[in-house]
This record gives sequence, C-alpha cells and structure tokens, in this order.
Amino acid sequence: MATEYVDAGSAIPYATLSTSVGKAPPVAQGVTYDRILNAREEPQNWLTYYGAYNGQRYSPLDQINASNVGQLTPQWVFQAGNTGLRSGATTYAWEASPIIVDGVMYVSGWDGQLWALDATNGQELWRYRHASPFDVSLCCGNVNRGVAVAEGKVFMTTLNAHIIALDAETGRKIWDKPFGDVRAGESATVAPLVVKDMVIVGSSGGEFGVRGHTDAFNRETGEHVWRCYMIPKPGEPGSDTWPADGEAWQRGGANCWITPSYDPDLNLLYYGTGNPCPDFDGGVREGDNLFTDSGVAVDADSGEIKAHFQYTPHDLWDYDSVMEHLLFDLDGQKLAAHFDKNGFLYILDRTDMSPVRVVPFVDRIDWGEVDEKGNVTPKVYPDKEGDPVHFWPGPAGAKEWTHACYSPDTELLYVPVQDVGATATRRRREFKESIPYWGAGVAVDADDQTGYVSAYDPRTGQERWRWTSPKDLCMCSSLLATGGGLVFGGEPSGEFNAWNAESGDLLWQFQCGSGHHSSPSSYSVDGRQYIVAPSGWGGWAEGFLPKMLGSGHGSALFAFALPE
Amino acid sequence: MAATAEELLGKQNGATLGRVLGRGSVGEAEEGSDGTMSATVRIPEDELVYEPGVLVLPHGGVLELTLINDDKNTHCAVLPSNGDTQFLWLVNHSKGTATLELDGPGYYWYGSTTGNDEGRGLTGAIVVQGDVPDEARLDRPPQPQV
Repeated sequence: MATEYVDAGSAIPYATLSTSVGKAPPVAQGVTYDRILNAREEPQNWLTYYGAYNGQRYSPLDQINASNVGQLTPQWVFQAGNTGLRSGATTYAWEASPIIVDGVMYVSGWDGQLWALDATNGQELWRYRHASPFDVSLCCGNVNRGVAVAEGKVFMTTLNAHIIALDAETGRKIWDKPFGDVRAGESATVAPLVVKDMVIVGSSGGEFGVRGHTDAFNRETGEHVWRCYMIPKPGEPGSDTWPADGEAWQRGGANCWITPSYDPDLNLLYYGTGNPCPDFDGGVREGDNLFTDSGVAVDADSGEIKAHFQYTPHDLWDYDSVMEHLLFDLDGQKLAAHFDKNGFLYILDRTDMSPVRVVPFVDRIDWGEVDEKGNVTPKVYPDKEGDPVHFWPGPAGAKEWTHACYSPDTELLYVPVQDVGATATRRRREFKESIPYWGAGVAVDADDQTGYVSAYDPRTGQERWRWTSPKDLCMCSSLLATGGGLVFGGEPSGEFNAWNAESGDLLWQFQCGSGHHSSPSSYSVDGRQYIVAPSGWGGWAEGFLPKMLGSGHGSALFAFALPE
Repeated sequence: MAATAEELLGKQNGATLGRVLGRGSVGEAEEGSDGTMSATVRIPEDELVYEPGVLVLPHGGVLELTLINDDKNTHCAVLPSNGDTQFLWLVNHSKGTATLELDGPGYYWYGSTTGNDEGRGLTGAIVVQGDVPDEARLDRPPQPQV
C-alpha cells in the first residue's frame, strides 16, 4: 500500500536560511527631503547617490588623511555570490554606490538584489531580491547602480524596468510600478534620485532602438507624476534635427541611464543622455539628433526641458553623454562640469547650459575637432558600408559612466580616463523591435590602451596632475574625494587606491581580488570613518576593456578604516 | 533499432550524462476568478526533471505552485519570486507548495540545488506571457518585429 506523501510544507525565503536578521533600525524614517538637500551637513552619512545633489562625490570626512592613510585596513567584507540560472549570468558586475544612513548601509547588487547591512560590521540586516526575467534585453551587463532612501522607504529600479519602494526596516515591498517596455528592449539600471516628494528614474535600452525617457513617481504612493522623452516627436522643439519624413525619431535612443544631479535653487535636474540609435549608422537619421549625447536641464516639477547643450551632434561613434554633471560655483559663476565619452571636458554655465570652456582630457583623439565653444568638426567616422574605420576614443569613450569627483578644498576635478580606440565597420540593418540596432560591427583595441587618473583645474582647463596605470589599463571606477585631502578609486585589476588630492601621489593600495567598476562612498559611525568599495568585475567589459574580459568576477564589498 | 537523438537527449545517461536542459513537456497554469494562478509540477522517478519542464502562465502575478517529488531520491526547488528566492526541500515521496510573485513578460529558471541536480536536468522554466501596462510603454507607433 502506497504511503501518503510526506508533507514538505511551504517554500520559505532563502534569507531565512542565513544569518540575515530580517530587520533594520528605523534610521531611514527621518530622512526627509530637507536632510537630503543639506546632505553634506551630515558628513557621517551618504544620503543620496552622489553624496549630495551637486554630483560632486565629495565627503567632508577627514579622519583618514594623507599622513595616516597608509594604515588603512579592511574592517569587514560582505560577499554576495550567485545562485541558479540568472539573467546576464556571465555579465554581472557590482556597480553600485552604497547609501549610508546613521550606521545602516543600503546597497544594491546585480539581478534585482538589495541588502541592508550594519555599516560597522557588514552583518546582513535584510535582503530583497526582485526576480528578473532570464531573457530581459541587456546591452551592457546585469548591473544596478544603487538605491535611494527617504522617509522610511528604499527605492530601486529592476532589470525589467520597474521602480519599487521597500520598507526600509524590513525590506518588504510597498509599491511597484513598471516604467519601461521589456518587449521593446527597455530595461533599467539607474540609481533613483529622490527630489521633493518624488522619486526620479530613467530608462536603459539605447542599443535596442528605443525612445529614451526619464520618469518621476510620487514616492509615497507610486503614482506617476511626469515623463520626459529625450527624443522629440514631430512638431516638438528639436524635432527638426531628425528626418522630417522618417521613422528615425521613434527609435532614436537618448536614454537616461545615469542619475542626474540637481540644483535646488534653479529647480533643474541635469541629465546626460545616451547615444542615438543606430549607434554608428547616421545615414538613417540625418540631422543633429537632439537630445542625444546632450546635457539636458529638466524642470524638476514639470519634467519640461529648459535648456541643453549637445556634446556630439549627429553621433557616429557611440559617444553617450550619460556621465555626471558636477555642479559647483566658482568666482560667482554657477557651473557644471562634464567629462564626455568624446574625450573633452566641458565647463558649462548651468543656468543656460552655454559652454564656458572646452578642453581635451585624453591624449588620443582623432574622431573630430572640437573648438573652445564646443563646435564640432567630424574627421574620422564610419561612412561607407563595409569599410572598417579606426578612431580614438572608441565607443568605450575616454571616460565610462563611472564618475569623476570634485573637491571644494582643492577646487580641482578628478577624472578616471580611458585611452583606447576601436574599429567600426558600418553594416546597415533593418530595425526590428527588441533586436540590437547598432548599424556596425565593432572591435575595441585590446592590446593598445592605457588609462590614468587626472586632476583638472576648472578655471583654466589645465591638467594639474596625472597618475598612469602601471598595467596600462583603462581606469573605469568612480572616484571619491574627501576632506582628508585624498582621492579614492579602484583599478580593473582589483587594486583599490588612495591618491594625494594635491599631488596625485599614490599613497595606499589594497588588492580586493576583483576589478572595480563601481562608486565608493565614505561615512562614519561613532566617530570612525570608513571607505566602502564594491568590488566585482564584469559588465560591458568587451566594450571598454576587452583585455580584461577573462578576469574573474567577484562579488565583495570592502569597508576600510584606520585601526582603533 | 538505434535510439534517435531525441530519445537520447531526453533521458538520463543517454547521449549525455544527464538530461539536456529545457526539455520535457509544456504545461499551463490554471487561472482562478481572482486572477491567482495555480499549477502542479512533479519530479518523476529516475528522470531528474520537473514535469512539466516548461510551465506557462498567462500573465504576471501570483502563482500557487504545488511540487510533488515522486522520485526515490531527495531533491529541492529554489524558485524565483519578487521579495526573495523561495526554497522548498523535497525528500523522497513528498509534496509541498510555493507562492511565487513574478512579473511578465519573460521567463525564469528554477532548479534543485542539491548535488548537481541542476546539471542533470532538474532545472525548470516558468514562462510569463503578456505585455507591460500601456502607461509603461513607449509613445510611438507600432514597430516592426521579428
């Protein structure tokens, strides 16, 4: 006689089979808009993506300084690992910028993962994992760049283009809104930004011929507030920069996959927009193709475009301009600094986005000439079908999305630089929804490249110092400036470095075991300063560093401090 | 008569050591009046496969899944769900349930993570059909598709 089935019960969350506590202290309850507005008045915390709305990635903390940084040691390591068959299983990378609120760290990983950690010891307090479809379209890896925190909630985007709000104490989901169409090739990797009563996000998918947009949601209810498309429809301002009788605008790209900076006085969000689509075949999209490859100032309340500056009109090189706009005031001027993939540093008047100064920041540039006001004369580009064309910088850009920083102490900008070219061979193809739409075959130079970290004076555009990668590797980790006179950043080969902010001298280094393609933060708890760095190589490595494509993936978060 | 390639790939220790992933039958979840979906997946004896191997849902939402291990070995199921991965231990001749929340459209893998069950064939797929809501879609005319 057959026995009854053994009762296996109900499935349980994986976190219950770990030391995860399941609850965090209610520190996020008190994170109001006013506190985020004045985030740098709380140097112990890192309340928003760039540390502050101005995008400077500067921490005033000065306990760790040039005289003692040599004693810096890891205090704890958090490791994530991988389970089962996941979307982008081979391309995952740890690209986030950790947020820290009064001793609790909120950090996202790849594949819909988010953790709350005790910032003093790495103890997991809770976790959330959003199930990502295995077949979601990802141009550039299974990645996520971070979270936002406000008034008891943690906000994160998911690979399948949802914005979710979680209870900051438990990690339980409060609301969930899709804002992109995965059937069209859209996805999301951006770290949200809280502004006023809204949470602001943007879409990815620029290699799949989508129409880039940014969206605002009410952070309490999840109600949609506004959407701003970065490609105008026929009849809208800028539509005359697209073919009048074509369909190109419908697939034009200009995605907003990096968090904007924000000027609360001007009430403007400063976006960098992505490449036009198809990336390399301009013949199907004659014109300047606004607002691709642009710095775009958007009214935070209405989502209306108020001003713009286009860095690379009619892009034929895949020169996204998504990277940050660093906001600072100098000599009475309200400025924005932007290091573009096209190899030029732009200092703009951020009240109207007019150029103040334009200078190159990478040694090898031959794609075109750009004058001191940003006017472009293209020189080398894929033009004829099947004709290979080599150009510098390649589509990796002279700088990746990873962020530069600015120190108000030194009044210098610090930038990670990639000096690498590529060959593109134009291959026209029909557009089909959700299928990659590049218009060329591209091979990035694997053997001829180098990278450096440079300091620039925004007043003159002069390079003040340069540290060159001893392994001749492109530098593609975000940088962090501190009140201790230091600049921190990682190398693709795993070293995490501290440089003297004044001289560029390398003062300290620790090998984390896997490359850095993330954004380190700094915080303090009980008077002790920490530097936290996610380490986990991967992402679009074939695009920016093919000679490191075979490097081991990692999944470790390192917190460094001085000995007690 | 020699076994066909189809027969050799669809069994343990045939052409391969285990069973090539993504095989097995296709089954559909049932939908209740409240939109909740339900389905049963079994692990047949000595086949090291979830049956059906591909479970199709009409749309995203909550799936009440019953898992039955008819095998004479112990397995488990590590399943995707919004919130956290769900784990169910399935000793020989056991039956359990899992409540899963999944977005659509797209598909998800799940598997038995004991030993190398995943490689031998105990990796199943959950397919979620449908489209994202209109408000999440792009404002543009219908586009050509493959």
